Amino acid sequence: MADKLTLYGKEFDSRLLVGTALYPSPAIMREAVAASGAQIITLSLRRQSPAQQQGKILWDYIQESGCQLLPNTAGCKTPKEVIALAEMSREIFGTDWLKLEVIGDDYNLQPDPFGLVEAARELLKRGFRVLPYCTDDLVVCRKLLDVGCEVLMPWGSPIGTGRGLMNKYNLRTLRERLPDTPLIIDAGIGAPSQACEAMEMGFDGVLLNTAIARAQNPVLMAEAFRLAIESGRAARNAGLMLQRQTASPSTPTLDMPFWQQTINSGEES
Amino acid sequence: MDGFTACLGKAYPQCCRPELTENIPRKKEVAESKLNIVVAGAGLIGRLLAWRLSKKGHQITLFESGSLKHPAGACQTAAGMISPLSELFHCPLPIYQLGMQSLQYWPQWAQQLELATGVSVDYRQAGSILIAHPQDRSELLQFQQELNAKLGPEKSGQLQWLDRNALQNLEPELSGFERGLYLASEADIDNRKLLPALLHALEVNNVQLREQTPVECRPGEILTGNRTEKFDLVLDTRGLGARSQIAGLRGVRGEVMVVETAEVTLNRPVRLLHPRYQLYAVPRANNQTVIGATEIESDDMSPISLRSTMELSSALYSIHPAFAEARIIKTRVNCRPATMDNMPVVESRPGLIRINGLFRHGYLLAPALAAQAEREIDTLTQTTEQVT
Repeated sequence: MADKLTLYGKEFDSRLLVGTALYPSPAIMREAVAASGAQIITLSLRRQSPAQQQGKILWDYIQESGCQLLPNTAGCKTPKEVIALAEMSREIFGTDWLKLEVIGDDYNLQPDPFGLVEAARELLKRGFRVLPYCTDDLVVCRKLLDVGCEVLMPWGSPIGTGRGLMNKYNLRTLRERLPDTPLIIDAGIGAPSQACEAMEMGFDGVLLNTAIARAQNPVLMAEAFRLAIESGRAARNAGLMLQRQTASPSTPTLDMPFWQQTINSGEES
Repeated sequence: MDGFTACLGKAYPQCCRPELTENIPRKKEVAESKLNIVVAGAGLIGRLLAWRLSKKGHQITLFESGSLKHPAGACQTAAGMISPLSELFHCPLPIYQLGMQSLQYWPQWAQQLELATGVSVDYRQAGSILIAHPQDRSELLQFQQELNAKLGPEKSGQLQWLDRNALQNLEPELSGFERGLYLASEADIDNRKLLPALLHALEVNNVQLREQTPVECRPGEILTGNRTEKFDLVLDTRGLGARSQIAGLRGVRGEVMVVETAEVTLNRPVRLLHPRYQLYAVPRANNQTVIGATEIESDDMSPISLRSTMELSSALYSIHPAFAEARIIKTRVNCRPATMDNMPVVESRPGLIRINGLFRHGYLLAPALAAQAEREIDTLTQTTEQVT
């Protein structure tokens, strides 16, 4: 059974999206990207004076990976900055895909929901395929869908913290209320188990950077995340059993009357 | 590929092979054991090589595309730290190993230079200290974990935890911090004193100095404009100037600031760990402190950005509030020559040795790499003696 991730009409086999920053070297980055199996990779331009193309040698090196590039607007705080950078990225990389970031708080790099919606509206008008990095707030997510986003990327927890899925209640709500929208958990994933959990919860993909790039062995960690995400996705497709209140034997206990067994099993609760 | 050869790509360990025996550039008919050597590029490694080789009696010509008094390369912008342990956090083991070799050379070389020139180069082996704010304490633990994993338990004793008292004994000004890590073996050198001292030593040793002269390097010869000049051996240490010759060589922008205040005195380099920003503060003479450094993937030499100034200054201010009244004496920007694996390149063929890609580790790696080249040239000299 083909289990493709479809974003803006384009199909992908991999559900892991990775960043390209913070690696010990560009060579290790490229090896890790290959090991992750990712087909979409993000990259940041903000501080590299993109207009002068002085980071070009590295961008070319990244582009050789053959992945769909997802330039991001990391470091931007206003829709105006975002739009200028987005236009430059489109020109340099020849792609209208964009990971939209509008940072609202410098310390935890929390997205600014108001700037996000405003920037998304304008970028979509300009023909960008916008993948917004947003909080897990249902109303913000809806507003982003209203202006035309086809994919949402709610955070698991703040960027670089590695704290995993901090607000599972909100995330579950998003999944339940937006069943047809591709939802990718972006940011805060520190361990493969957390990525696996996101996939088990029904999210469509996971985007991460620090947990791989800062591992002692980034290439091996990239593989670990690839396996975790495949595993979580398979589990979701297979259908997870529901948790039960108490441990219940799967065969009747012979020395206990059947009515007593029913009471003790707790299944009626 | 063996011996003193290319370590671009996978062959890292060759960089740090202590003994070099094969692939020596052979000059068949040299009558004397002293060679006529050209060094192209008067950055740190070029100056060190020219000095070491001229001391041995070789005839040296040093070319520099810019000014010798005001070097344009990263060596002039760096903070001169020789910190193999601190760097190991984000680097592969060979960088540490080469750095440990350099730590052996520096004290003696600094002393020799001071004797030759009468100028102090402020070599200081007082260790360095790593601190983090309470909310970022996991950065210190992560650092320790990473080093333990890379060095193994027997060598991890080079890291020493400091409690509040121990920290204050070493650095009384760091009273706002509860704990820190002490890396006792690390050192630093004042590059702004070292580079002129090396130049002075070259003049004393009668090295032929040719500045404002860009060159191209080929085995046994260099090109200056339309002229070709022959030499026994060409050492290409041009950094980013050799861009067209070294695959994947790129510039990585770094920005530093020099501030001055008499209110805070640090005794050694201090690094503040943070999940996103990295700050080092290296105390220098005259109440000055060099703070840095950004690392931006861009070959961009334009002046420091407002954002970088704010990041560096606020990180420094967070170490001690009295830094708020420090005066900004200078901001400096440069691009570090780096390869795609961020490892140094040492390429050797008959008549030509290229050393490049020292990235953010110029002062850490240069003596070890220069000493390797020196040993190779010694072997070459012995070989030519046998030939004649």
